[in-house]
Formats: sequence, C-alpha cells, structure tokens
Amino acid sequence: MEPKIGVYICDCGSNILGKVDVPKVVEYIQNLPTVTIAREYRFMCSGPGQDLIEQDIKEMGLNRVVVASCSPQMHEPTFRRLMQRAGLNPYLFEMANIREHASWVTDDPDAATEKARALVSAAVRRVYYQEPLETREVPVHPDTLVVGGGIAGIQAALEIADSGHKVYLVEREPSIGGHMIQLDKTFPTLDCSACILTPKMTLSGTHPFIELMTYSEVTEVSGFIGNFKVKIRKKPRYIDVDECNGCSDCEKVCPVTVPSEFNMKLGTRKATYRPFPQAVPSAYVIDKQGKSPCSVTCPAGVNAHGYVALISQGKFKEAIEVLRRTMPFAGVCGRVCTHPCETECERGKVDQPIAIRALKRFMADYELKNGREKAQPVERTKKDKVAVVGSGPAGLACAYDLVKAGYTVTVFEAADKAGGMLRYGIPEYRLPKSILDSEIDYVKELGVEIKTKTTVKDIDEIKKQGYKAVFLANGAWVSQKMNIPGEDAEGVMHAIEFLKQVSEGKKVELGNKVAVVGGGNAAVDAARTALRLGAKDVSIIYRRSRAEMPAIASEIDEMEEEGVKIRYLTNPVEVIAANGKLAKVRCIRMELGEPDASGRRRPVPVDGSEFEMEIGTLIMATGQAVNKSMLPGNIAYSESGTVKADEITYETSVKGVFAGGDVVAGPATVIEAVAAGKEAAISIDRYLQGTDMKEGRPEEKERVKDVPKKGVAKQPRATMSKLPVAERTRSFKEVEAGLDENAAIEEANRCLNCAVCCECLLCVSACERNAVRHDMKEEIVEVDVGNIILATGFKEFDPSVMQQYGYGRLPNVITGLEFERMVNSAGPTSGKIMLKNGEEPKSLAIVHCVGSRDINYHEYCSSVCCMYSLKFSHLLREHLPNAEVYEFYIDIRAPRKGFEEFYNRILKEGTILYRGRPGEITDVAETPYEQGKLIVKFENTLIGEKERLPVDMVILSAALEPHENARDVARIFNISCGEGDFFIERHPKLDPVATMTEGVFIAGCCESPKDIRDSVAQASAAAARVLALISKGKVETEATIAEIDEERCSGCRVCNLLCPYGAIDFDEEKKVSKINDAICKGCGACVAACPSAAIKHKHYTTQEIMAQIEGILA
Amino acid sequence: METETIKEAKTFVDEVAAEPGGEKINECIQCGVCSGSCPTVEWWQYPPRKIIAMIRAGKRDMVLSSTSAFNCVTCYSCMVRCPRNINPTQLIHAVEAIAEREGYKPKTPTLTLHRGLRDAMKQGRVWEFSLAMLFYFKTSLLEGIKMMPVAWDLISRGLMPLLPPKRTKKGGQEVTAIMKAVEAMQKSGGAK
Repeated sequence: MEPKIGVYICDCGSNILGKVDVPKVVEYIQNLPTVTIAREYRFMCSGPGQDLIEQDIKEMGLNRVVVASCSPQMHEPTFRRLMQRAGLNPYLFEMANIREHASWVTDDPDAATEKARALVSAAVRRVYYQEPLETREVPVHPDTLVVGGGIAGIQAALEIADSGHKVYLVEREPSIGGHMIQLDKTFPTLDCSACILTPKMTLSGTHPFIELMTYSEVTEVSGFIGNFKVKIRKKPRYIDVDECNGCSDCEKVCPVTVPSEFNMKLGTRKATYRPFPQAVPSAYVIDKQGKSPCSVTCPAGVNAHGYVALISQGKFKEAIEVLRRTMPFAGVCGRVCTHPCETECERGKVDQPIAIRALKRFMADYELKNGREKAQPVERTKKDKVAVVGSGPAGLACAYDLVKAGYTVTVFEAADKAGGMLRYGIPEYRLPKSILDSEIDYVKELGVEIKTKTTVKDIDEIKKQGYKAVFLANGAWVSQKMNIPGEDAEGVMHAIEFLKQVSEGKKVELGNKVAVVGGGNAAVDAARTALRLGAKDVSIIYRRSRAEMPAIASEIDEMEEEGVKIRYLTNPVEVIAANGKLAKVRCIRMELGEPDASGRRRPVPVDGSEFEMEIGTLIMATGQAVNKSMLPGNIAYSESGTVKADEITYETSVKGVFAGGDVVAGPATVIEAVAAGKEAAISIDRYLQGTDMKEGRPEEKERVKDVPKKGVAKQPRATMSKLPVAERTRSFKEVEAGLDENAAIEEANRCLNCAVCCECLLCVSACERNAVRHDMKEEIVEVDVGNIILATGFKEFDPSVMQQYGYGRLPNVITGLEFERMVNSAGPTSGKIMLKNGEEPKSLAIVHCVGSRDINYHEYCSSVCCMYSLKFSHLLREHLPNAEVYEFYIDIRAPRKGFEEFYNRILKEGTILYRGRPGEITDVAETPYEQGKLIVKFENTLIGEKERLPVDMVILSAALEPHENARDVARIFNISCGEGDFFIERHPKLDPVATMTEGVFIAGCCESPKDIRDSVAQASAAAARVLALISKGKVETEATIAEIDEERCSGCRVCNLLCPYGAIDFDEEKKVSKINDAICKGCGACVAACPSAAIKHKHYTTQEIMAQIEGILA
Repeated sequence: METETIKEAKTFVDEVAAEPGGEKINECIQCGVCSGSCPTVEWWQYPPRKIIAMIRAGKRDMVLSSTSAFNCVTCYSCMVRCPRNINPTQLIHAVEAIAEREGYKPKTPTLTLHRGLRDAMKQGRVWEFSLAMLFYFKTSLLEGIKMMPVAWDLISRGLMPLLPPKRTKKGGQEVTAIMKAVEAMQKSGGAK
C-alpha cells in the first residue's frame, strides 16, 4: 500500500510558535512528494487536536502520521493510542521534537525554524519506511523484591504482603529498622521513633507473606519487568537464625569488644552481637572480617588472636586451650619462636606490635605456676597405628594431631630423652628443660607413646609391627664442614655437638679465647653457651654484615650485651695447628657483592686482606645436614641433600612414608617444623582414610583487609625484665622473666581485634541450643520476582572533612545521629547528655546545614536538618532544662504539616536562634571566660556583627547523603544516579516513584533526602504501583526489538556477550545466534556490533535511519 | 529613621558584577560564613557579607566610602569556606578597585599602610621596620610607643630586622616596572 502521510505541527501555545515560524515549516512540508496533508494546530495533544488527526485519517485515508511537537517522552503514547483508535498500527507513527530540540535551545528564530524544518522532514522520510509492529503480553510474577529494611522498605513490604502477595525483604545489616530505629524522637509530633517503628518491624519479621533476608545483599539482577531473576548473597551470620533464641549467652562470654555501629561508636558491642535489643530478627550475629594477620601469618596456623583476646579478659585457662587446639608448645614457642605473627601485627602500624610471643609464654608460665591438670587421654577411634620417627617439634606436632584424631601413635627417638633440637640444640637459658618436659608430658598424657633410645633404620620392619603410616622427622644433626685446611685439628668443634654435650651435662673443655664461625641461631647459642662455661673472650666470625645475620635480632642484642664481639665481613680460610692442636685461625676480609639466591648480598673476599687470630677453641656453626645413615635406604633425596617430600602432602618417594621438619627443609625454625608436622598429620589421616590428599590444600585464608586505626592512642608494648648481664654470664638461668598477670592483660588489651571475631569458640560451648556455626559459608539464593522496590536509604555526612568545625579533633563536637543515640534512653549513655569528661554540658550550639547547601560538599538542602535541629533544642529543654541552647541557621525550612507550629514552639521555649553559618569552631580561648570551651566564631547576620560564642558542646546537623556504593547498586538494577548520586525518578513531578527501568521502583531517601512521613508515603505509592501490575497480571513486551537474519549470521557470538539483558542465546544446532523476544529491550547494542550486519532493529532499520539522515540534510 | 525609596538598586550590583572578581555577587545566600571566617573583620567597618547585602541594596556611596575593603589581607579563608564559590576575597578587591579608581580616599590608617607598602615595594622588598615606623608616624605616635614592647619582642627574636633586607638590583627593577605598568593601566582605564 502506497504510504499516505499526514504531518501535524504543534504551536504548543507560544512554546514552539514563539521561536519557530510554523507556517513556513508547514508550507515546506506540504510540498514534499510523499506528504498528503500538513497542518498547524495550537495544541496537537488537546482533544480537538487529536480529533483533527483522526478525522484526516478517516477522510483522507492516511496510513502514516508524523506529529512535530514536544518530546516523545510526553506524548508518544497519546498519539500511538490515537493511531490505534483510528484503526492504524501505532508503529506507523513518528514524532519530531521541535520544542526541546529546536525552540527551547536557541534565541535565534531563524535557526529554530531551520532546525524544525530539518527534523520534520527527517521524520517524514523515516515514517515512509516504517513497518507495522506487534506487541506481545507476558505474565507478571506475583512476588516482589524489596531492597532495604528501613522504614520505606518495611512500609512497602507490608503494603504488598498485606494484600496476600509474597515479598522478599532484603537488608544488608543484621536487623531491619534502618536509620529510623536509631532516632530518639520524631518531629514534629515527638513520637518515640522506636515505639512507632518496632510494631512494623515485628510484623515484617512474622508476616506470612514476607520472607526476611537480613545480612544479605543483591548481587545480580537479570530479566525484565514481570520476570526478574535476582541473585541474593546471604552473608554468613555464623549463628542459625531459626535456632537462636536471643538469650545473649554467647555475647556474655565473647572476649572481643569493638565500637558499636548502631550507637554511632559512642558505645561498644561484642564480636557476637545483636545491634539493639528490639532487633528483627532477634538472632545474634558473629562479626568476622576475615582472618587476623597474626593467625594467617603463623606457619602452623596458631590462632594467636584467639588467645590474646582471652588473655585480655583474664581467661588464661581458656586461652591456652585455644593454642592447644593447634599444638602443644605454648612454653616452647613462647620462648624460641621467631614470631612472624608479630611482624605482620597491624598494631605495629600504630606503635609497636602486640608482644604475642611473650603472651604465649605467659599462658604456659601461668599454667605451670598454678599446677597444670593432667590431660585426658584421647579415645582411640581409629584402628590404624602410625609411627613417628624423631621427637623434635615436627614429630611431636604430627603425633599430637594424629592422637587427637583418634590414631594410635608411637614416637621413636634415638636419643636418651625426647625433644630433639628443642632439648639438645637450644640452651637452658633460652628454654628451660622443665618447660619442655611439661609439654612433652602433655603429649604423652594424651596417649602418645614415646620410645627413646630407639633407632629406626628400616621402614619395612616398622610396617611389620603393624604401623600403617610413618612420619620421618629425624632432623638435620650433622654439622657441615667448611672444607678449609686444618679443620680437623683438636680444638675445633661443631656447634650442634657442642650444644648437645652441654645440654646432656657433659663437661666440655674450652680455651680462653673462643671463636664461633657463623651467623645463625646455632652460632649465637654456641657463643653465649661458651661464655657461660667460663670462656674469657668469645667472638663471632661472620662473613656478611649484621643486616644479613639470620639469627633472631633480640638474641644478637643480648649476646652483645653479654660481651660477645662480632667480626663482620670476615671468613676463616685456614686453621693453623701446632702439634695437632689449634693455635691460630687465618681469616680473610670480605665485602658484599650482588644479591644471591637467598636475596642476601653475596660476600666476596678482598684480595690481600688476610690476617691471623690466636684462638683457643673454634666452634663451627656453618650449617647442618641430614644424617643419611639414619634414614631408610630406598628413599629419594633432593638436590640439597635433604629428604625429598611433596610440598603440600609431605609424602616421600615411598608410599605411606611422610617426612617433614629439618630432615626435609634443612635447618629451619621451630614453628616451621611444627607446621610441617601438622600438614603431614592431615596427609596421613587422609591417606589412611583413603581420601584425596591434595584436595583443598593449602587452605586459603582470607586476611582481613582494612583494620580501623583511627583514634587508637599510642601505648608502648610490654617488655619483660631480664637478668642483669653479670648474673647471666655466670649461669644458665633463664634470661627473660616473663610477664605478670596484669602486664599480660594490659598487653593483650592493646590488640586491635583485626578480624573482630577471634574464633576462640567460647560462644560454641556457651550456646545451649547449639546455634553457633563457625563453619557457615555465604550462600547465593536465586529468586524470581515480578517487580522490585529499592529503598536503600542514606548515610550521614561525615563532617570531619570540614576541618573548620573540628569534628573528630575537638572532643565535644558531635553529629546529629550521635546526639540521637546519646539522648536515647536505650543508648550508650542511657539518655544522659554528657561531655567526654562525663559532665553535663551547660551550653550547646546546634549548627545547621553542615555539608548541605554547600557546593563544596552537597549543593542540595538535606530537607530534614532544620526540623531535627529544632527537635534537638526541644529534647535538650527536656533533658537539661537549665542549659543554654543556640541554633545557627541560614534559613529555617519548615514547610510541611505541623512544622511551622513546631518552630514556633521551640521559639517559645527560649532557644536562641542566630542567623549565620559559623566560620569555625575552635578551642583556642582569647579570654579566661572562654577557657576550656568550644568557641563558635560567626557573624550574627541580622545585626551584621562578628561574634564569639563559647559553649560546652556543639552538635553538627550533618547532611544526608547517598551510600558510597549507590552507583554500584544503580548498576545492578539498571537504573541511573543523578547529581549527588541519588537515584533518578522517572519524572520529577509526575512519576517520582518509578525509574526509567520498567518494574523497578524507588522509595525513601535513596531517591532524595526526605522525612519519615514522605518516605512512608513514597513507599506506599511504590507498593500501589507494584500491586497494580500484579493485579493486572501481565505486561506488554517491547515491540521495537532486534531480530537476527539467520541466513546472514556467521555464528561469531559477539552479540551473545554484548547483550546487557542476556537476551541472545546461541543455537548449537543451527550454529546461529537467537534473540529471545521477551527479554530484548531493543537497545541496539547487538545491531551496531554485528560484523556481518545480520541483526536488524525492527523500529530502527538501516533504511529508516538513512532516510532520516537524508531528511535532515535535505 | 528615614524610610528611603529604592532607586536603581540594580545598577550598583551590575557594576560590581562587571568588575573582575565581582561576577558571582548574585549567587550569595547571605550565610555569613565569610565574616565568621575573616581574621581581620573586627577592623572592618562592615563585614564582608554585609558589604554584599549593601551592594545589592544599591548603597553605592556607603560601600565605596567605607574603609572595609582596604582591611582585607587576602588570606582566602572566606573563599575556602564559601558554600557558593563566590570568592568573597576577589569580590572585596573588586570593590576596592572601584573605590581606588573613583578616588575615594578615606584618611584611615589602613590606607596609609597600603601606601607605605607600595613605597616599600618600589624597592623590591618590604622592610617591616621602616614600614612600621612610617605607619605610626603617619597615624599615631602614641600608638607607636605603646607597640614598642611588641616591636622589641619581634626584633629580639630576629623576626623584624632593623637593617633593610638585602635586595637584588634586578628584583627591585622588576617590581618597579610592574608597579609602573599597573599605574599606567589604571590611568588608561585598562586595569579592568
């Protein structure tokens, strides 16, 4: 059918006619060949205007229509309905916007006319090629998602649920209630905020049609109006909501105290907490922010945070049990550990790290002092027997874990006593034998059998005895030689043998001058031991510098205090003997060159720098190797000569034989040996149970990211008293004295509680209903809904950026929400308004517009601050009748019902209002009267004078601002943020609850700052919109969508990934892409992207667009 | 008090708005944060916010003959805190420029101070000691005597040298050239 086009150009009163010469445009259009009729009319959208078009369609047989008027946003639906009434397809219609795009954007009538002419002629050419399109209907899912559990979300959810339709109410905090539940009274009626909100909260919690999802966040939304698919991330609460009855037993035993967010950090809460007594749901929640750096860093995975937190509460017995969950060596590691945990401790960024090692030692000392109870033997639940060879830290740690897992474990030890290097390598003054004995006894009491003086060489023999798995932990006991001439002379010793002999109580002859070669812990131990044995002159010869010395720094310090000299950058090259006895050592000076494989700078000899030293005894501490003669013959070794074992499972080349500690790693630290023993224990258990040894290993631990340190006062860490140097060098008495109870508690209280929950697990035993689930994982729940209401609320502006007001710096400057909590009888001060020193303020200033009406922060008026500030004045009048209250305002905005009356009431009550925004608030006094007060510097603008007002407390009425992640939320729901990041409504006047995305509605302060009453009204309005859609039960889908030409599609799938709505799937059979009509929104992204031009947009075909461009250029 | 009929209030606002620095005068919301922040406002005849109000009220003579504008020390506190980015400092200097141009010469200490400062600047650098002497000789000798303890305090701490500061020949010449250029521009009316 040949197109017959009618063109209707609207004057829009003078809106268009004022600029555009409409008759001229009409004349031009009328002469276009395809146009049947062109007309001008005053208001095309009016009844007579529409009648005019309808009449022309009927009388002239028009089959296409162009209206040139305002934005299609306004009247396209109007004219499409008209088309339908007149019996034409509504998509054979085009609208040219000559108001917003022509007459309103220029002062030049000629330019406006020219543009209008171009736009209309473009529309005429485009409409020529348009094709009739059909819409389809899809059903609306009757369930609704409400995001945000503040008053707006609660109201919307209740409205919908009351009509018998299901609502998912998602709230990211542990309880619903939002900001309203934090408020004390509400203006202007002075209702108690909690009293009017809690009934609605309780109802939401119990409503049969509301599924409450607290501590949850929406992560993904797909689909379209009527048919959304929503993914919700349920954060682990670590407490079963259904089981918890809110008895607070867990809270009582929790050792971790942190600032309470609900009380604006004016009060505290535990790691196990309920934000406030009336919380819905009433279940507790455990706050875990990941794992504390100390616990993550420990190679053996000791939960240092756990026992530190318990020590801070004086729970010493419980504390050591936390450590014993991992390993038995509190006293040993409390003395000799290299404490990597302290290096990572976040407190170190404030002042000094927590003395974690000293605290660990304290627990052991405390227990020994007060008499350790015998450990209960562990029940053997597994039938298999395991053999451990070597009773050093690795062997005992492995035996410890296996016996606790229910195995029968036997430890074979070649030496006279158990303990390995702990007993024979570490001198008494560092690790008293009594401590070691006690801890080995503990392992024995659990049921581990230790066979001393038993050398194991043949694995098969052990296996014949019925041991199903073997753990080799026989250490590295052979001293490495330096390979220099004369090394075997009498008077040359090796550190390990030397220390062992001394430990065994054997007599060792030393010369007066002793030199130790090496820079590790063995060298330092040997030197200090030699000193204690009576050597007059002890020195260390080390080939690198202090920075490269691997020994523990504090040990080196103590050694130097005791009088041992260190010769850095020196290396022995020859031992000169006289009569087979050591006499002199020839050394050479070194200098540091390029870094080597260990990252330390490699020492290089300096030519011609050789010199000789007279030495009585030379002790070599230059490395330890594995004694291969003590190991089974068929085992494989690594390049460095140690036993080869898998990095994760510690299994050796022989099946069922595992190895760890120094025998695998070479000489290393105690804690690394313990770690190896523990890992091997896991492998052995899995090996014996026949499960995969590698699955899920190494265990990934999420270290806590940000640890708040604001306001942490510096406090030096606890130090232990040491024996005087003179006394030290005479005996093997322990050098450090340990901490006493008070010092330990004080030190433990310095802990920043990085991860918040310390996983001490006291809550688990305290809970009578077994509701605590520390292994809870986050869950992703997927729900289908038809509509979504966003009510994500606001946050309070942080005024610390306005330095002139001193918030965060001056102690008695607080924000509005802080005052709400302070004045609330259930708040942190039980309703007592007090200064930081506990006194009552006698005068207060309330500053309006902090962060609002200020283009440096937020240009908008926050709308509620005037009223809540006036409310504060009233509350102060009630709580502190004698206090002077001043308000600083710019304009008082009291435009709603009852507001002006409330303002009058405050004036009558005697509050003094000064008009003027304060320049600054200072504590610098100019007169004695001002001393100790906060001085508000301002201009009283009504009399034009600058004044200073000293007060005790200042309340900053801070602005309302969107949440930091408002833009992310907008992206998830495919809506937009406007200026200041508030969500944009569909129309500021006529559609303030809908958004540009169909089926997504907004309510409350996420749309703009508003009071409770407006939030409730908007929420009810949004609910009504949703109910209308549910009750209609169906929606029309977009007709203007994209379509793929299967013949041309190459199956490249570019469009599949590009589609923001996930509307395009790939047809594996035909090898072409396909568009799902119901999901496509007609955005056109795929059309532009398709490399073979196989995709057509039904209402924007290439032909139509080219014609439109031609029209503009014509 | 006499009730005045407002005539042509708008002309003076427009005049200030046309002066460099005065452009944003219409955007002021009269909050007073500028006066509240001003460290020298106690010496001002009218605080800065009030000057803006007076300009809007068309009080041309009152504003231009007041000494207020000459007390601004250009610390920019008001500019930093102004919630409308008006830059009251620039606005006050715009008023000062009009007053200078039109020959409003209030006999005030501050104006003398400015003159003295300008003399000093011809030499390239400010010599505080001579400037202070000049100031008190021209204004009040008695006040000068009262200030002597303060002067001594400054001198003894080395904060106000008695001898003129070392000046480079080149610097002096440059400043003199700048000042001459400014004067020439003012005479030709090109300072705008």
